[in-house]
Amino acid sequence: MDETEVVFPWTTADAGTFKLLELPPDLLKLVEAYIEGNASLNLSVKGGAEEDAVLCTDEKTYTMRSVVLSNSVLVLTPAPEAGEGMGDKVVIQDELHDIIELVPSLPKLHKLKGILRGLEYDEGYEDEEMMDEDEEFDNTQTGTFSYADAMHLQASEGELRRGLRDMRILDIGGRLRPIAPSYLNTILELILNHLVSHSLHHDAVPVDELSAAMKDEHEVDRQVTTQVLLWFGTVKDGKWEMNAEEVIKQIGLGILRPHKDAPIAEQEFLEKWKSAVGDTFESYISLKLLEVCTSARTSHSGNYLSSMSRDTFPAVLALTYFPSSSLPTDPAARFTDLFLTRPKWKAEDIAPYLADVAVDSKERDKLLLKYARATKDAEGMWYTARNKI
Amino acid sequence: MIIPINLPGPSNGPRLPPSLAKLGNSEVVIIELQGSLEVEGDRSGQAVGKLKFEGDKPTLLIGHHLLEGKLVTLQKPLAVLHRAQPNEDDGTSYDMIGLVRRKIVFAKRPMPVINAAAVKQGMEAGGAKDDTEGKRKKLKLG
Repeated sequence: MDETEVVFPWTTADAGTFKLLELPPDLLKLVEAYIEGNASLNLSVKGGAEEDAVLCTDEKTYTMRSVVLSNSVLVLTPAPEAGEGMGDKVVIQDELHDIIELVPSLPKLHKLKGILRGLEYDEGYEDEEMMDEDEEFDNTQTGTFSYADAMHLQASEGELRRGLRDMRILDIGGRLRPIAPSYLNTILELILNHLVSHSLHHDAVPVDELSAAMKDEHEVDRQVTTQVLLWFGTVKDGKWEMNAEEVIKQIGLGILRPHKDAPIAEQEFLEKWKSAVGDTFESYISLKLLEVCTSARTSHSGNYLSSMSRDTFPAVLALTYFPSSSLPTDPAARFTDLFLTRPKWKAEDIAPYLADVAVDSKERDKLLLKYARATKDAEGMWYTARNKI
Repeated sequence: MIIPINLPGPSNGPRLPPSLAKLGNSEVVIIELQGSLEVEGDRSGQAVGKLKFEGDKPTLLIGHHLLEGKLVTLQKPLAVLHRAQPNEDDGTSYDMIGLVRRKIVFAKRPMPVINAAAVKQGMEAGGAKDDTEGKRKKLKLG
């Protein structure tokens, strides 16, 4: 008999406890791999009361959207006593009128900046941390935010780890603390000096020796050194392989940072940069370094603007520090800000400033279409504000 | 807050009858209906109808109404989530009980069946006479 009897369940307790989740192809692959036993996978839904829920895998974040259906969808499962000669039965567990659609989205980590304000870790804080080690770590203490707390943010764990690294946030004894930019630069310059003075090649630097030297000679806490080394390279078998470009870039950004309002002449900037990194690494220096992503893991985001300075004669190319992390996260507000800074943008100049509001280049183009007007001339594509005053 | 979704382990629960094997999974079936099931009185444990496959064509006989449906392969497969029984110590969590790639859709109007047993017999015989009868019924409904 190939007839299946459909029955209602004995209790109604399960009604409303089922959800249907539409799986995008990339997520489907992960789930299939998990079911076949080829890979591990963690899935969780994250969100506060006032936020839209997101689904996080280990590496990605998806916005969850409920799509209402005009048809009703029945969820049926085999009856517990099925297949015992009593005829085949399936039980209608639930009747649904919507399914959940998943849309890839960016991790919502920008909140971290606000949460961690005032918790910066700067030079001379080592003593304070020493004292704290004796005390019981108290999570409820105001003004502390731990890695576990950060897991509640709407981002996957992979994105959170990358975010902490890209935002240069230290984990000091369980507390997340952004490192002061100037202190980070000091540490990097000290590391470069150490390499040069001990004639170490930057491909294999003994971690223990380096962090001990940093501690003894410069009072840089060991856990700070260790984490900084991981941000700027990879550690394997106790040896640090430096990502030279990333280090040189960070030092360059540090020099550029004070020039938020007053531009610095390109030549002057390059001179300062060279003297900061020393002869050995001078060859790495290039303005390109500041704009391109130097490691596959780092997001490609904007850092500086160049323009012809009007104050000097003859006019020279001058640079202004303009990090995309300082811009609003809402696309509309971001475009307003960008066009206030510059009325006209070249396509390749504006793209880095949209990298952290659009998931991919397709979405970026959609935003450009919505908020900007494109014009083409001999120099290429230009974007201007759509709502011209 | 974080709501974990537990992924399916090796399944050892009750399995679907072999007649539904063409749906491609053994844990859960999705049936889409135009309209909804309306029941008067207590419905717990009551029979709804009979689901049957003739080749790839599913039919659902509910009382004196016969629904003809089709098997639809989903472009994006659905994960079926079930809220887990809340334990005392942890909060809400969901179990993924199955992955559905094909669903059964009943989108046509039900055909009235005067004598369910006779129609059943006719369908099992699969005669040409039954076909014309079916068409006539559809015409009347339209």
